[in-house]
Amino acid sequence: MAEAVAVRGLSKRFGRFTAVDGIDLTVQEGEIFGFLGPNGAGKSTTIRMLCGILKPSGGCGRVAGLDLFRDAERIKRRIGYLSQQFSLYDDLTPYENLRLFLGIYRVAPSLWAERIEEAVASVGLRPDLHRIVRGLPPGARQRLALACALLHRPRLLFLDEPTSGVDPLARRAFWEFIGGLTRQGISAFVSTHHLEEADRCGRVALMHEGRIVACGPPRRLVAEVLPERPEAGLEDAFAILLRGRAA
Amino acid sequence: MRARCIRAVARKEMIHLLRDPRSLALAFLIPLLLVLLFGYALSLDVEELAAAVVDRDCSPESRDLIRRIDASRAFAVRAELETDTALSRAIDAGRVSVGWVVPAGWGAALRAGRPAPLQVLIDGSDPNTGSQARAFAAALIERLNAERRGGRHAGVPPAVEARIRIWFNENLESRTFIVPGILAVILMIAGALLASTAIAREAESGTLETLRMLPLTAGELTAGKALPYVAVAWIDVLAAAVLAWGVFGIAPRAGIAGFLLASFLYILVAVGTGLLLSALAGSQLVATQLAILATYLPSLLLSDFVFPRQNMPSALQALSALVPATYFIDLLNGFYLRGIPASGLWPSFLVLFGMAVALAAGCVWAVRREGF
Ligand SMILES: Nc1ncnc2c1ncn2[C@@H]1O[C@H](COP(=O)(O)OP(=O)(O)OP(=O)(O)O)[C@@H](O)[C@H]1O
Ligand SMILES: [Mg+2]
Repeated sequence: MAEAVAVRGLSKRFGRFTAVDGIDLTVQEGEIFGFLGPNGAGKSTTIRMLCGILKPSGGCGRVAGLDLFRDAERIKRRIGYLSQQFSLYDDLTPYENLRLFLGIYRVAPSLWAERIEEAVASVGLRPDLHRIVRGLPPGARQRLALACALLHRPRLLFLDEPTSGVDPLARRAFWEFIGGLTRQGISAFVSTHHLEEADRCGRVALMHEGRIVACGPPRRLVAEVLPERPEAGLEDAFAILLRGRAA
Repeated sequence: MRARCIRAVARKEMIHLLRDPRSLALAFLIPLLLVLLFGYALSLDVEELAAAVVDRDCSPESRDLIRRIDASRAFAVRAELETDTALSRAIDAGRVSVGWVVPAGWGAALRAGRPAPLQVLIDGSDPNTGSQARAFAAALIERLNAERRGGRHAGVPPAVEARIRIWFNENLESRTFIVPGILAVILMIAGALLASTAIAREAESGTLETLRMLPLTAGELTAGKALPYVAVAWIDVLAAAVLAWGVFGIAPRAGIAGFLLASFLYILVAVGTGLLLSALAGSQLVATQLAILATYLPSLLLSDFVFPRQNMPSALQALSALVPATYFIDLLNGFYLRGIPASGLWPSFLVLFGMAVALAAGCVWAVRREGF
């Protein structure tokens, strides 16, 4: 299977502070990769580097088949990214937001109707297409953000805490939607604070103070850390892993 | 630079502008404001200003001059006085607002082809009337000289020299016309203020991160952001020019092309200033306040508009050379008042062009610093 993400020794320093400290990561095609860790661990910083937004201070690697250092611009064309606040223009309508993205992705105007139709149908946004975003409920906004990120048919999706501030029902729908995408061979790189969501991921990585503390399928991680407690969850395993680091 | 990306950004920026009442007012109430100011400045057309003469010469030439003054539309000779003090008193008391003093031997000097100075005193307490009186007096003497030169070859120095002095308000000298100054100040403020929120707004709301993830270069973002504001300011300029022409009959005396080019460059400078501050400030409030600080007072006070440059201390003169309005006012004065063709004003064009290029480069640099 081809690798959607493969980086080695990736690091980012802000002045003298090291936010990401030489991490190795691989994400397979069609995989849901969970990215976990406490506040300030460096998750967003890592994702922004992988998206070509932030220039890494060191390391090497490829994202979506392109060199992270030389091809940042082309990487942006192949991936979708939902930032932590998934900010859209709230004085524009969903249609106008989508049109902005299509314009910047330089999709030919003759294809716009079809692409918007497709993206909107996949996230189920239909009736609200011409209402100003400001008045939409948070769930609809998130769908719109997702539709924007999918407009150019990326094969790799970075989602930074997409489920924070979303109600449990919408969260469930969201994960089902992501599952549907990966069945089409699209990879998803998802950071989250909700550990129970990790079970929906093929593999997870736990990040702490700029380093990857553990990485692998969630069940196996638990089994490795707590072999004597088969009933233990990811939470118990992570508590032990993080305590071990602090000591 | 890819046109489609720029167009996409420009279109959404235009929607922001059209949906924000504050920006909309700033963008399109300006022509209205200009009309009011134009109206105020120009409806006070001087006619039959009370004039007094002191004729110490009493030659055929001096009598002819006085007839010309009285016959002109601008002046009406209300009194012939004997002494300068009587004239001063008449002006002080407000009985007349213009005084002409013909010295003894003036006619003889004219006949001999020697320089023949003439004194004109103008009451400058109303700058508007005063400045127009000055222009009319200068025009009257100019006509006289032209007639006297008549058959003779050009290049002969003008015989009649008007020593025009303006009382009560010496600064009037360079305020010949206030409209170019008003246009320069308003365009600068509006352009800079409108653009000043363009990037800071997105930094605050988090949408800048949305733009960062898109395949968009710093140059494309800058161009797309600037375009709508340049267009709006352009509409303002055209509205102002059309109104000045349609309502008040004022048009550039030296071709419209130079005027349009000058306005375009000046608008680029104004919008560039706003965008640069917007990218550097990080918050809308700071950006807006910086924009007002950087444009309003300098354009008003350091630009040759209110205070003549040549009267400034050298430190302020140096500062004034950095103010874009200085050059725009110079250009507008050239086109509207003096009728100088664009080719004669290239130094000011060059400076505005240089400023526009430097600001564009500065904006791209600042936007790149934001992660593009
Ligand atoms: N542009 C920046 N300049 C300086 N420091 C930064 C910058 N961006 C992030 N940091 C620092 O890097 C560290 C990691 O931040 P990051 O946002 O990646 O954490 P995170 O894991 O996403 O946390 P959260 O769960 O709160 O989103 C933090 O200490 C943060 O203060
Ligand atoms: Mg984060």
